[in-house]
Amino acid sequence: MRHVGDIATRELRSFFSTPVAYVLLGMYLVFVGYIFFANLGVFLKVVQEIQQYGRLDLLAEWSLNQQVIQPTFQASLILFLILTPLLAMRVFSEERAQSTIELLLTSPLTIWEIVIGKYLAVLAMVGLMVLFTGFYPLLLTLYGNPELLPVISGLLLIFLYGASLAAMACFVSSLTKSQAVAAIVSIVIGIVLMILGPVAEYTVVDSAQATLRYLSTQTHMQEGMVGVIRSQDVMYFLGFIAFSLMLLRTSVESLRWR
Amino acid sequence: MIRVEGVSKRYADFAAVRGISFEVARGEVVGFLGPNGAGKTTTMRMLTGFLPPSSGRIQIASQDMHEQPLQARRAIGYLPEIPPLYPEMRVERFVDYVARIKDVAKSERAEKVEHALKACGLQDVRRQVIRTLSKGYKQRVGLAQAIVHEPEVLILDEPTAGLDPVQIREIRDLIRELAAKDGRTVVLSTHILPEVEAICRRVLLISHGEIRVDGSLDEVKGTSTLEDVFMREAGPRVGEASA
Repeated sequence: MRHVGDIATRELRSFFSTPVAYVLLGMYLVFVGYIFFANLGVFLKVVQEIQQYGRLDLLAEWSLNQQVIQPTFQASLILFLILTPLLAMRVFSEERAQSTIELLLTSPLTIWEIVIGKYLAVLAMVGLMVLFTGFYPLLLTLYGNPELLPVISGLLLIFLYGASLAAMACFVSSLTKSQAVAAIVSIVIGIVLMILGPVAEYTVVDSAQATLRYLSTQTHMQEGMVGVIRSQDVMYFLGFIAFSLMLLRTSVESLRWR
Repeated sequence: MIRVEGVSKRYADFAAVRGISFEVARGEVVGFLGPNGAGKTTTMRMLTGFLPPSSGRIQIASQDMHEQPLQARRAIGYLPEIPPLYPEMRVERFVDYVARIKDVAKSERAEKVEHALKACGLQDVRRQVIRTLSKGYKQRVGLAQAIVHEPEVLILDEPTAGLDPVQIREIRDLIRELAAKDGRTVVLSTHILPEVEAICRRVLLISHGEIRVDGSLDEVKGTSTLEDVFMREAGPRVGEASA
């Protein structure tokens, strides 16, 4: 495993040697910032109106967490769904397209070193986006007093979600030489996993409903967003990541045959 | 240094390589000849451990490629047909990266990278981004990544393909130099016959997945030319449709 760092470092450098990473991260900051401030604007307006009409009893129902932070986090999940595949799309398909995969597979590296190294590089980008997300609620603590526990659990869930998407997108990237195909397929898989939960509500067969609901990423984020970290949710995402990385390992190994 | 025993490679219903065997001794420079589609690249990919053979055994520097892949791969420097380069990296950083993944000890790394850059005439472009280099220079970077860990065996797949005559001569000189130094073993594939005569002392000719000729250059040529031998052994066989 001593080459993991070499692989990950090269990968990270290559993220930032083209404008792609800057554009994607910049887009993320702008969108999350916009949603945050839009929600904050609405919140302040409502609070002002409540005070005008003297209905102070209603104020208790209006919290920064519920009205500002949660919608921002929800929106950031959608952004992760699109941006993580765009970040991860090149990690293997580019190696295949420019035949540098031949260099990797004829070097004294194990498949796990290649897989983990690449994955960690994408994970670092995901971590960066989570830090950006955390910046806005932190800003609120300067002026108000939002509850911090739901913020922390929300960020953790966003990170787990991003880490799962990253693992899945890395696997998809190993299946094709085309980055565009890799990105589109990963985004579609992400969307399907997200809407499985709502779709399950229309299923009449009980066992099928429970299964679909369990498989959906949505199911495992609802509680975390309001501050409850459930071990089954964490296990779901860790299992998702482990499963994707196993598939990725097998896929990279089989590149020797393709 | 290289031992190949009854190696075959089948793709679905097509046999690319059919039970070939040969040995290459330390310090030999072997020209691996054959028409396009004869199995040259497939054989080289098996030698480097990129492709697993369907059957047979390959040993590099007395390490079995199947049983001890990491040790065997460490002994090999490989320049594939398309040089494996990251276009966005700078030459020096790329060669350093390859040194790292090829297990070059940290204490020797700077020195070996320097040596590889110098041997391939890359000192002047070391800070340049690979994308901006000419094809000839890209090929040199390809050679630098193949030799940076000072492998005992060098495997070069059509190292002069697509270069202009000046670049071809430069790369050939470079290969000859690399081969002469430290008694390195070199296997070089090509379908350019003068290249073999310019660089190699031994010839292996593969056609239809089988070794047809194996011997020293003089021995193989006899009284005819290398081209005659090539046409005789690798031309379309009687009763077989030529594509």
